[in-house]
Amino acid sequence: MFRRILTLPTGRIAVGIIAFIALLAVAGPFLAPYDPLEGGAEILAGPSGAHWLGTDYLGRDVLSRLLDGSRVSVLGSIQVSLVALVAGVIPGILSVYLGSVFEWVTLRLADTLIALPFLVFAVAVTALLGNGIPQAMFTVGIMISPLFFRVSRAATLSVARSQYVEAALISGASVGWVVRKHVWVKVLPPIAVALANTAGIGFVVVSSLTFLGIGVQPPAPTWGGVLAADLGYLSFRPWAPLVPTFLIMATVWACNLLADAIRDVSGEAGRALLLNRGRGHVPARTA
Amino acid sequence: MRRTKLAAAVSALALALTGCAGGAAGGGKSEPTLRWAVTLPAHWDPVVSGSGAQFRILSLAYASLTEINEKGEAVPSLAESWDYNDKGDQVTFHLRKGLKFSDGEPVNAEAIKAYLERAKTQKNSALFGDLTSIKTVTAKDLDVVIDLTQTDFQIPLLLGERVAQIPSPKAAQDPAALDKSPVGAGPFVVTENVPGSHVHLKKNPDYWDAANIKIEKVELLSAPDTATIVSGVQTGVYDLAGLAPNQVKAAEAAKLDVVLQPGYNASNISININKKPFDNPKVVDAVRHAINRQEFVDKVTFGQGTPTDQPFPTTYLAYDQQSANRWPYDVEKAKALLAEAGHKPGDIKLDLVIPNQQTAAEIVQSQLAAIGITVGIKVDPNWATPFFAKDLTLSLYGTTGRESPVQTLTAHFGPNGPLNLSTPYQPEGFEVAVKKARETPLGSPDYQANLQAATRAGLESKALVFTHSLPNLFVKSSKVSDFAPIPGQLHWTGLTVS
Repeated sequence: MFRRILTLPTGRIAVGIIAFIALLAVAGPFLAPYDPLEGGAEILAGPSGAHWLGTDYLGRDVLSRLLDGSRVSVLGSIQVSLVALVAGVIPGILSVYLGSVFEWVTLRLADTLIALPFLVFAVAVTALLGNGIPQAMFTVGIMISPLFFRVSRAATLSVARSQYVEAALISGASVGWVVRKHVWVKVLPPIAVALANTAGIGFVVVSSLTFLGIGVQPPAPTWGGVLAADLGYLSFRPWAPLVPTFLIMATVWACNLLADAIRDVSGEAGRALLLNRGRGHVPARTA
Repeated sequence: MRRTKLAAAVSALALALTGCAGGAAGGGKSEPTLRWAVTLPAHWDPVVSGSGAQFRILSLAYASLTEINEKGEAVPSLAESWDYNDKGDQVTFHLRKGLKFSDGEPVNAEAIKAYLERAKTQKNSALFGDLTSIKTVTAKDLDVVIDLTQTDFQIPLLLGERVAQIPSPKAAQDPAALDKSPVGAGPFVVTENVPGSHVHLKKNPDYWDAANIKIEKVELLSAPDTATIVSGVQTGVYDLAGLAPNQVKAAEAAKLDVVLQPGYNASNISININKKPFDNPKVVDAVRHAINRQEFVDKVTFGQGTPTDQPFPTTYLAYDQQSANRWPYDVEKAKALLAEAGHKPGDIKLDLVIPNQQTAAEIVQSQLAAIGITVGIKVDPNWATPFFAKDLTLSLYGTTGRESPVQTLTAHFGPNGPLNLSTPYQPEGFEVAVKKARETPLGSPDYQANLQAATRAGLESKALVFTHSLPNLFVKSSKVSDFAPIPGQLHWTGLTVS
């Protein structure tokens, strides 16, 4: 699938941007020209040869802070995606096979989670469990999991009632074998689309929370935190918010482009999901 | 045809909206109106509101027993004069004749007595700790006789705007209702109060100095984000607003008036010596030597403030020159003190708990990191509860000061001082020194020396490290006349809006 994604221009752009961001996450702290926590330079200075993006309100190098802060955003986004994936896909597939009680409970639970505002909920959880990105991202992952639940359940339903699966079951195949052999292949493409989409949501959520000062303790740098700080000093550096804003926008855009590219190369199942994406952050009820 | 009708409808709507906007911005008739962007008071009852900065807003609706002048001296307000007995343990305030509250109740000694007794006894009173010198209050028509628990010549200063803004006793019978909307004898009367949105006031013709109130209306508007205050004043949405130090440059660039109102403000690092690691005096001394005050001035006040190592600015009457720079900034000495205390770098890890994100917290964090103390910044929106319950180990506080210097000293260093995080600790010798300052008449040639001696004794406290002082910053449009430079206060007499 990856090679097919790279055949598309949008796919190449998306992969390029995401690879760049991933590189920043891995190597950013080593690429940073200064200690991102070390002040001492002139405060709120403009760009110069010594400080390409200037300095912040404590005289810290902004470029170094953005490079160092990329790791938090990327890890947060990955955490949201993985939690949502695990919490959504497994119950989504099992809801088809584990009987009506389990099906009813999981569907109602998914309905409930969809109704809750995940950002507000994440803030509440950090207030209860402590101010940390892992807690907040775990919560957001759970809140977004109905997306994966619906997608995986819909795909599983379409396979589970097909004649070839019924024939396999009659011939003595176990449910586990059917899931591995038939269901998983059918579920994987829309899940991949949803995963790329969720990664974008994850970036927005991490940036929003850190913008509000939630999840990361000062003086740790984050993209959202740098943006929030820059907005307080517009009269000194009016252009400064553009840099973290561009980073956040480009990353989210790349995730959405990647989702589109996966859809384009993965056939009907992926297309169906992407069609639903425009109507909200989770697809409409499918059962 | 349909397009013409649509255009006409749009035009009509635009005209209507323009008319509405003009009406709102113009304040209706051409009466002089001051539009002030503020954090609207959470409490309108002075007893509950306490001595914090909100008293400036409450001073629109309430008159106080006394006021202060530009020198910080007590001057008449509701009380036109006062006198002490020879011993200095009884003071009698003589009220002006014929005054009344905005609900028609008379301003008399009974009203003052009711207020002071409520401030001493009401369960949620924020003023209780300020009134410990008051034993009994006796009302004799327009004379308020206050018997004191000790000789205390600070009372006329104490019973000014921060502690004795007097509400109507009738309205105060329902403290909850008074807390939502004020009923006083101040220069203005509330005409409309929409919590969270705005409060409108009109001139009170019954105010004792109404002849010198030149503004007809005041509109208190909920202040927006600090970054948009300047544009709000520039575009005429507001005439006056508080100004963050980082917005001074923008206000000056917009050619607005930046007002540096003098004050008693001082910020500090509050330490609890009842908790580890500050139960070891050497650790406290290490912190004292680790603090570079100039960095606070540069990065928090943007050069608008001054460093101070005492609970007031260096220019204040009670500032003790002998104690200046008692613990100079010396990182190596701080490290050595920590080592003497038995702590290796990185041994000490603690939380600095604050109510909201502050640059000062990050400065404290980095300065203590330089001597090997790891500080985590914990933002607690309910910070006030553990702070005033003295449950925190390390915090930050900024005071707007008090008119009475003795009150400032006892608030910081006294055993029950609200700003003493290490209650019931007080430095040795402070009690005696502050008693002597309290017993010194304000006009005595010894007054300043005794005050400074009390400051010197207080500064031995291991519970506070003072960092910087910032004047009260405001931005105003040029149509608002200059404020009288009353320390810490905004006086409405003589102020004009053209």
